[in-house]
Amino acid sequence: MSTVNDVIPSRFSIGGMSTGQKITILVTILFLAILIFATFTTTGFYSVQNFKAIINAASLVGIIAVGMTYIVISGNLFSLSVGTTAAVCALTFMWALRFGLVGGIVITIVFGAVVIGLQGLLVGFTGANPIIVTIAAGALQEAVAIWISGGVSVYPPDNGPSFAFLASPLFGIPFPVYVFVAAVILGEIFIKKSRFGRGLYLMGESPRAGRTAGLPITRLTTGAFVVAGVCAAIAGILIGAFNQSGTMTASGTLTVDSISAVLVGGTAVIGGRGSVVRTAIGAIVIASISDLLLLRGYSTPVQLLVLGVIVTVVVILSYLNSERAGRS
Amino acid sequence: MSAQARMKPRFSANEQKWPIFLMIGLVILTFAIPPLFHHSSSAFTIYNALQNTATLGLVALGLGLTMVVGEFDLSIAGTYALGGMVAVKLGTGNPLVGILAGVGVCVVFGLIQGLIIAKLKINSMALTLGGYLVALGLTGTIGDNKSQSFSNYDIGIALNQPIATLFSIRIFIGIAVFLAVFLLMNLTNLGRGMRATGGGRRASRTAGVRVDAIVIGTFGASAGLAALGGIIQAYCTATATSNPGLFPLIFAVTACLLGGVGLAGGRGGAFGIACGALTIALLAELFSTVAAPQYVSGLFTGLLLIVVTTAASPYVIRKWRERRIDKSLKLENKVLVTSDSSSKS
Repeated sequence: MSTVNDVIPSRFSIGGMSTGQKITILVTILFLAILIFATFTTTGFYSVQNFKAIINAASLVGIIAVGMTYIVISGNLFSLSVGTTAAVCALTFMWALRFGLVGGIVITIVFGAVVIGLQGLLVGFTGANPIIVTIAAGALQEAVAIWISGGVSVYPPDNGPSFAFLASPLFGIPFPVYVFVAAVILGEIFIKKSRFGRGLYLMGESPRAGRTAGLPITRLTTGAFVVAGVCAAIAGILIGAFNQSGTMTASGTLTVDSISAVLVGGTAVIGGRGSVVRTAIGAIVIASISDLLLLRGYSTPVQLLVLGVIVTVVVILSYLNSERAGRS
Repeated sequence: MSAQARMKPRFSANEQKWPIFLMIGLVILTFAIPPLFHHSSSAFTIYNALQNTATLGLVALGLGLTMVVGEFDLSIAGTYALGGMVAVKLGTGNPLVGILAGVGVCVVFGLIQGLIIAKLKINSMALTLGGYLVALGLTGTIGDNKSQSFSNYDIGIALNQPIATLFSIRIFIGIAVFLAVFLLMNLTNLGRGMRATGGGRRASRTAGVRVDAIVIGTFGASAGLAALGGIIQAYCTATATSNPGLFPLIFAVTACLLGGVGLAGGRGGAFGIACGALTIALLAELFSTVAAPQYVSGLFTGLLLIVVTTAASPYVIRKWRERRIDKSLKLENKVLVTSDSSSKS
């Protein structure tokens, strides 16, 4: 009897250039064009200080997007509540600091992994629609958070441990940037080199074939969501540390930004193709465009509009190049 | 049965019956539970539920139509806001102009989304996420990133004015729209074509159903209905909000699933969606009547959506079908054994 290892190749060899690679190249060229245009026309864009700001903004979205990449590659579309989970984790971290810094971090990460992992378990076991499950889970998390916190910000305990270094620069670079880089490296190695990661690619490429090959669909789906939960929790810790408090409004546009980063990076929305490194590029692209629009005086809705157009174009490009576009 | 009789659309075959029982159950609970908390419901409670159904119910109807054809329109929360904002900006002098502009813009928006989805065969959830962001961005840009007040208060007062205690013009508009969609889906070939499209696209195409036109039109209708819901809400509250959040979407999905619309497509209709929408509206009124905190309503809505999504999942449906087949097989065996023993005797 063939085992999972027998049917999953150690590396996917895609003849020529894959869809994701084409999109990444296209987006990179577009990004470079915008960058050159912005450098010459926008005051303050081309400065070390501004690039630091871009990388800092990209890091929080990027960390969440690393986890989102696992969900998208597994073929479960995306989660519409990771931003909410990150905000809830910021609240949890502030509360859990009473158990010390390490205790607070561990409790928050376990909490995030369990909250999103349970959604993955439900999706994997029953085949329930991931978008609707995550929307419902988001509403549930918000309600529970307001119930427990009373709808007000949560502050760290008096005489609690110091966590200032989590939001401070190290060698001139903000601490979240180091976490982002570490998350990208670890995330990329884990998804490319581990049996679990290869299983995710296969499941995303063809869930039916994966099932036939004996892939543990429930376990893989839950695993992908757990990784997303860990990433959301880490982002939540950093958000909490930066704000020195936990509040539900911190979720902002984190969810849509992270989905956009994954899609702009060239990871196929139908699953099976993509990488964490591409997502990192996507996160930097999204942060750069937002920064550029901000410097040019455009309001948040305009940024949202541009983000929407970018997501739409990338999704269309992804499908135009996909061999699996035929669905009818 | 003649072929003609078979072709005649039958309500019983198109719609589930349990949504109406669920809704009736909620009506009973709406009056039975509040006294336990020293509160009481009245005709006004039902009026409020109907008022909400007349606006958010239209969003649910739009989403439900896309679900019937086997797609899913995430952008309805965006078009709901966009329609309201366009109407408030352009309808101060003549509210009808606002309605036409708001619905018109959103119908075009929906048709473009439908065209891309039908022609390029793109996953509708992925594409309409982009659509949602675009619609929300447009709404915020038009409304300067804040809520916009509507100076024509008369139209809101007229729409909300109670008629025969339980109704209002707003409710009559809602009923008329639901009725029109119900009749279109049950008395014309359109409904059959939509369900066939949702049931199996390749087979429908082979059978001569204009699948692409149906998908494009459905997305246009979905956006138009969501916009109409947003416009009525904006006129009635004299305010257009630039970002309503995901609440309209959560309401719509739950209403559709409670109304018997299948996520796999091909099942459900306007009557079930109306029952589903009224069920959730009644639930919200129930919490409001017993003066429950806001988070309790959110808690129940989230839980309810998880429960109905799980109930509509492939695993639960498969298990339920297997149970039904087992039951019918047992019944068949029983009949065979009975007839066998009676023939022997």
